[in-house]
Amino acid sequence: MDNNIADMQYLCNRTLSQERRGIIESIPQSGENILFVVAADLNLKSRYAEAFFIATNVAVYSVELEDDSESKNTSKNKRKNKDTSNGASIKSSSRIPYSKVEKCKVKRNYGNAVLVINDTDGRYINFIRFSYKVAYLFDAAANFVENVGVKKHGTIDEEMAIMEVAFERQFSFCPKCGRSLIHPGANCIYCQSKNKLIKKIGKYILPHKYVLIFCLLLSVATTAMAMIPPYMTGKLVDDVLPNRDLKQLRIVVAVLFASYLLQQVIGAFRTYMLRVVGDKVVSDLRADVYRHAQYLPMKFYDRTSTGSVINRISGDSANLQGFMLRITQEVVVQFFTMIGIIVIMLSMNWQLTLLSLIPVPFVVYGARVFGRKIRPFYRKIWRRWSAVTSILTDSLPGIRVIKSFANERRSTEEFEYYTDEWLKTDIKSARITIAFPHIVSFIITCGSLVIWGIGGRLVIEKPEFITAGLLVTFISYTSMFYGPVNFFANLNDSYQSSLAAAERILDIIDAEPESNNGAGNKLDVIQGKIEFRNVSFSYDRSKKTLSNINFVIEPGEIVGIVGTTGSGKSTIINLLMRFYDGYDGAILVDDVDIRDIDMEYYRGQIGYVQQEPMMFHDTIYNNIAYGVPDAHVEQVIHAADVANAHEFIARMPDAYDTILGERGTGLSGGERQRLSIARAVLKNPSILFFDEATASVDSETEELIQSAIERLIRGRTTIMIAHRLSTLRKANKIIVVDKGEIIEMGTPEELLAKKGKYWRLIQIQQMSEQVRKSKEEENFE
Amino acid sequence: MERIYIDNDMARFTRRDLTLVDMDLYDGRHFERLEPRRLFPITGTQKYITLLDEEGEEVAVIRDLTTLPAEDRRIIEECLDEYYHIPKIIKIKSCEERFGVTKFYCVTDRGECTIEVNNIIHQIKLTHGIRVLFRDNDDNRYEVPDIRRLDSKSRSILDDYL
Repeated sequence: MDNNIADMQYLCNRTLSQERRGIIESIPQSGENILFVVAADLNLKSRYAEAFFIATNVAVYSVELEDDSESKNTSKNKRKNKDTSNGASIKSSSRIPYSKVEKCKVKRNYGNAVLVINDTDGRYINFIRFSYKVAYLFDAAANFVENVGVKKHGTIDEEMAIMEVAFERQFSFCPKCGRSLIHPGANCIYCQSKNKLIKKIGKYILPHKYVLIFCLLLSVATTAMAMIPPYMTGKLVDDVLPNRDLKQLRIVVAVLFASYLLQQVIGAFRTYMLRVVGDKVVSDLRADVYRHAQYLPMKFYDRTSTGSVINRISGDSANLQGFMLRITQEVVVQFFTMIGIIVIMLSMNWQLTLLSLIPVPFVVYGARVFGRKIRPFYRKIWRRWSAVTSILTDSLPGIRVIKSFANERRSTEEFEYYTDEWLKTDIKSARITIAFPHIVSFIITCGSLVIWGIGGRLVIEKPEFITAGLLVTFISYTSMFYGPVNFFANLNDSYQSSLAAAERILDIIDAEPESNNGAGNKLDVIQGKIEFRNVSFSYDRSKKTLSNINFVIEPGEIVGIVGTTGSGKSTIINLLMRFYDGYDGAILVDDVDIRDIDMEYYRGQIGYVQQEPMMFHDTIYNNIAYGVPDAHVEQVIHAADVANAHEFIARMPDAYDTILGERGTGLSGGERQRLSIARAVLKNPSILFFDEATASVDSETEELIQSAIERLIRGRTTIMIAHRLSTLRKANKIIVVDKGEIIEMGTPEELLAKKGKYWRLIQIQQMSEQVRKSKEEENFE
Repeated sequence: MERIYIDNDMARFTRRDLTLVDMDLYDGRHFERLEPRRLFPITGTQKYITLLDEEGEEVAVIRDLTTLPAEDRRIIEECLDEYYHIPKIIKIKSCEERFGVTKFYCVTDRGECTIEVNNIIHQIKLTHGIRVLFRDNDDNRYEVPDIRRLDSKSRSILDDYL
């Protein structure tokens, strides 16, 4: 915890300067002790400002400060409480004692929220406003005020213990990047290593280091051999040709032949080795990205299109692989080539060497400018290409819907629009990427022209100073020297492109996986007791999906959760499945917090049947055995039997070997549902969740599914979300959820007698059921 | 149930609280503590404003704010301004990328602020070719209504992320 904060006698979410502390501590009336302070970031007029919520043992305060510098400009102010203190002063403040609080809650607006207090005089007071940055602390503060002031639930000390946890949560997030930490106060894995990007990516290369070192040595050999031809050419011009020495000519040609041959043979071998290593690196990288993608929380997929993930696994990893090889091989080779050539050139003629270096600063400067200009383009190109692939992954699997709405043309137009956007950006970037190497080549050519001009003049006027052969050799080395210079100039281009790719790959690799704090913690047997204790949850911070949910389900009970669409029923299942972990309160199974149980073991104990079960492009057999791949054939058949699926499977020509199309095409909705139940039967779970399992099937199929479900749930704790309330006839308990809160709970009989929401839903359903059945009969006739 | 659409002077509004209004319909019906909310908060800020009661049930929909009498329009707009905190970015002073977090130091119509973005691809979106929407790491929203109106420095900073 921050030292400044630790020094203070009260909790605060911000480091306070001495003057701020002075102001805050001067506010409470005498005899009051500050318990905690929450710094807000907005004033009541929704402008960014410095404001504080102060809770003491007697009352709560809201205070807005203003900078004195600001106040001097704006003032002749209408300050209510003029209380200056070294740079800031109180602009406004208000106080409400707990004894006057009737209700305290956080009202969430869009991008901001207000802590609202209803006082005993019947006033509705907008007490303090803040952005979502601190909303979770104000949620806790509102609970504190309610519990201390209104409900008088516990002592202040007990309530402060809860507040401390809420404050601690802010340190559970990295102050730099906002990602949650493994435990409060831990170092952020992401921030620690982000600046060591190359090192991070380099771990994929490390296993192949010996092969790469060997390739490097081969490169040194080919590079050394590449130095021979210019030298031999000079010898040819100066010694062999003027002396008409045929013997020497044969030797020079033989040496040149041998050098070219070896260069090519070694080069080809080295390229092959690098290809093998490259393929291994990219395959490791892809596997790693895919593995990480499997363990990412649902939250990641809520905001990331699958197209963009696919793009990263396929395109970005290949891009990065090319770059890694360039870094480990070419950079080293080209660097030594450059140094080697400079040394040789300096030993031949230092004046000409300096002349030939004239274009270098221009090339290097150009590369820097180029890098700055091109990087955003790579990002833009990727963004647009990602949009194109997103359309592909969305539209092709949904081709039936497109066709059924005769929307082929619109779909094509949309695709063309995004392709066009990509094209425009790519062409723009091509102008820079293509122009730059040509400009560089031109500058280099100009450099060599200078050497030809000056060197040629020296050969003509002062042949004792430089020979024609030496000039030819020098020019050859100069062009070779600019090879590495050009390489380094262009390296920035691929570096930038790869950096963008690395960023995107690390977005997956570094994304927090689902937390598995209870790894290894397996219960002996799961009896099936489920308890929700003060559970609140929101998918984003703008709206609470569940508020203060409390219920207990005893082992073996069948519980129905009912409510209108969007009331939070499926969210309860999502939390129980641990698809989302960031909720307040606790969910317990057999009195153990589910976050403390090994994730794989826990999910292994649950059978989950969804409304639209997902089938894989595989055989029916493998689809049933998905959760238990080593199941015996007869177990699979038995499971299908229990699920009322065996009969229709047996009637199919390929029976259990029937290969399903993508997402289970080839089967009706009811058939897919029964396969999904068979999966659950085979898994033999302790707890079962059914999420609207019979919502989209006809009455006859519903009967089949219903009887399958009844066979499956015997003796297991079962939670059923059902749109059709008739499917809950066997339920021991019904929980009615509305707007994220439990509004009724009890046995079906109790709730019917109560004539509340459940009773109304039953009435409505009975009427619509009659209509549906009569329509089905009509259609049948 | 038939939805009540409000056009022109079909209703009179009275400000009740920060984000709440009372409404008197032309037929004499009176509704209290209604909260105006945009049905299209991103794509259409002036049209289709729903009025929700305390239970969150819709009472009526204002088709187009611009057709309302000036006073009623002002009341509804004030409520919407209170409800929707979407600061309009006037200037981007600077931008830095560290540890994978991109920070934009901005001047908005509601004061100065720092927008922290972890994922520039998902959290910064260009719509209609000129409007930019930001969602920061805490789910707060910001917008640049028209990038063409930004000064050249701000535009050049932003352009790198679009």
